[in-house]
Amino acid sequence: MKKHSFVSKKWLVITLILIVLVTFSVLEEQKNVSTRSIVLAMSLDWKNDEYELGIQLLKTDSQDKQEFITYMSTGKHLTDILENLTHDTGGAISLCHTTVLILGNDLLTKDGEKAMRFFVQNEELCNNTMIVASKGSPLEAMSAKLSNGQGGGYYLGGVLRNMTKDLGIIPMTIKDYIKNRYRIGGCVYLPCVSVEKTGETTYLSLKESIVTDCCKSVILSETATKGLSLVLNKLKSGELSYQYDNKMGEVDIVKTSSDIKVEQDKAKLKIKAKLNDKAYIPDNIDEKRSVEVLTENITKYVEECFSICRQEGLDVFFLGQRAYAQGKDYYEQSDFLDKIKLEIQVDISMK
Amino acid sequence: MQENQNNKIYEEQFLLLAFISVVTFKIVMLPQYFIKTASNNSYMIMAYLIAVEIMMLAIVYGIVKNGSLLEQNIPKWLKGIFALLVFSSSVIKATVLGSEGVAYIATSLYDNVSWTFVTLALLLTCVYLAQKGGKVIARSAQLFFWIIAFAMLFYLIFSNLNLELLNLMPFKISGDLAVAGDKYLIWFGDFTPLLFVSVTPSRNRGKKRLGFWTAAAVVGTLVCTVGLMVIFISTFGDAGQVIGNAFLNVSSLNRISFMIGSADLPTVLSWLVMCVIKFSLLLFAMTECAKFFFGKKAWVSVICGVIIYFIICYGIGNLKTNYDLATSWLRYFAFFAEFIVTIAAYIAMRICEKKNQNNQPSECNNADNCPAQTDQLQGEI
Repeated sequence: MKKHSFVSKKWLVITLILIVLVTFSVLEEQKNVSTRSIVLAMSLDWKNDEYELGIQLLKTDSQDKQEFITYMSTGKHLTDILENLTHDTGGAISLCHTTVLILGNDLLTKDGEKAMRFFVQNEELCNNTMIVASKGSPLEAMSAKLSNGQGGGYYLGGVLRNMTKDLGIIPMTIKDYIKNRYRIGGCVYLPCVSVEKTGETTYLSLKESIVTDCCKSVILSETATKGLSLVLNKLKSGELSYQYDNKMGEVDIVKTSSDIKVEQDKAKLKIKAKLNDKAYIPDNIDEKRSVEVLTENITKYVEECFSICRQEGLDVFFLGQRAYAQGKDYYEQSDFLDKIKLEIQVDISMK
Repeated sequence: MQENQNNKIYEEQFLLLAFISVVTFKIVMLPQYFIKTASNNSYMIMAYLIAVEIMMLAIVYGIVKNGSLLEQNIPKWLKGIFALLVFSSSVIKATVLGSEGVAYIATSLYDNVSWTFVTLALLLTCVYLAQKGGKVIARSAQLFFWIIAFAMLFYLIFSNLNLELLNLMPFKISGDLAVAGDKYLIWFGDFTPLLFVSVTPSRNRGKKRLGFWTAAAVVGTLVCTVGLMVIFISTFGDAGQVIGNAFLNVSSLNRISFMIGSADLPTVLSWLVMCVIKFSLLLFAMTECAKFFFGKKAWVSVICGVIIYFIICYGIGNLKTNYDLATSWLRYFAFFAEFIVTIAAYIAMRICEKKNQNNQPSECNNADNCPAQTDQLQGEI
């Protein structure tokens, strides 16, 4: 005979599932998206022993008019600053959609990396948030109102995501930044942004790089930055120009790769570049001569990058890490970098 | 007999549970801890300990294909000792690994919410599954298997890995590997809960089919643990020591993340399912052991859940305390219990089998005296 119970098993299970769902949904900290301040870009600097943190938000009014608004706060601790900004903006600060973080030079060299560790360890920012250094004030670069109506920070995020394999600056995500910091030498290279004005037009220049090891830093020129990308990035686009006998030409990069082998007192760098001569070729060009000039130019770019960094004691090509990977311990010698002679071999093939 | 049926699972289900049991908590915080101690060669110690675990699972299978540990024809006092050892090791593991799961949900999926809510919701589900028995846990795992498979496929298609093999070098076997293996022992030896299920051959059984799934489970386990460790080190190098939640951080789908945010939902979903199954398995082992002493009553499962709830929420409460607990001397006890029980149970089973075989001609002429035969007959009926 079937036994009748007061509550059937089916309803018990349904009640249990309801309890689980309701318990999760009443978690008071889980705020609605509409009550959050979604941060598009951030700026961070170190001034008078305090952090100066700026955030950029996008507000849309009832007529779909977009406005980029910047908020700024200072303080000794980042958690306090974020709380202040939550108060100022009227919504819980949400950093997970931040496209770019602009850092000041003082923050990079004087903070002892506390801020970056805060963002990484608390998983406040998305792994793919871009990091850029600013030549001047990072807040100014972020809040710059550009002629296309966009905020500087938001614009930077858009530009950087489209240039991962270009000749020139190497876009850095927070993931890449932290990875490089933990290598031997701890060198980090970041795109360097500066605010430029021509007449009434304000624009952001993004051609140089900053190399830092958390204490020292140098700014690489546009050509040295090109050298950096030829060694450390696998390029798939960009243009290389050359000039000889009053003839000027330009070639497209199809593909580049590099390999470095470190020995006790020298490093052998081999760059392979596949180029395409469809960009601009003057009449009666001597192809052999143009390849020679391009080889010279590439060598010059790389040498400039290496020598500027070496002067400051920055191991920008991670030669110490490469020696360690080969099982050698030369990198432990204090004058390891000074003794190294860089031998560059460029192998160009025209397509 | 009903209880026996509740814990009866098929061979493929056993393989899936073994995969989930071994993989789930080795891909969250363990890679970070390993790199902190053994740097870029830590995948070697992961590979070694996983190989040991797979071998131990073969022994577990050797036991449970003849019925669950508590159904074996071994002395009751020995079963009692085994139940006591497994109960205590499961309590330790459920609190340490459960806290890790709760911490991930509370901090990564929510905005640092209180552990009490998350633990409550998680435990309600897992205690229910544990009370229902191994069959329900295995069936749940089987239902969600496709989410796990889909997440891996999604990852293969969309991930944009930027691996630097330089980070893996130099290959060096050093004392640090042994130190890491010793320090994080508690994350290994995840097989005793499977001693409480009883494996039966699949309905559509075929040697080739079982061979295929066994190979898939072994390869899948190695790829998801050692493979993930290699990817993690190649991606982050020594910086891995500050990157938690490894499974999530290597699964950021760079190619499309800028358009729709970080598209890691399939990975999160599949891991959450694995977490619920694994946690349920640990609670299942606890409740089965407790029921051995206190009888097969639902309140035994509830009390086990309450014990774990209080330890996680009020004894541990944060990842720092959890780390201290996981790396304390308790790890030796948990590891010892996992290995000793499995090996001792196998030896005891074989000895008793041999004794039975010697006595069988006289005693098993009558089917009522032969437990294995009686079970088979009743199953057929």
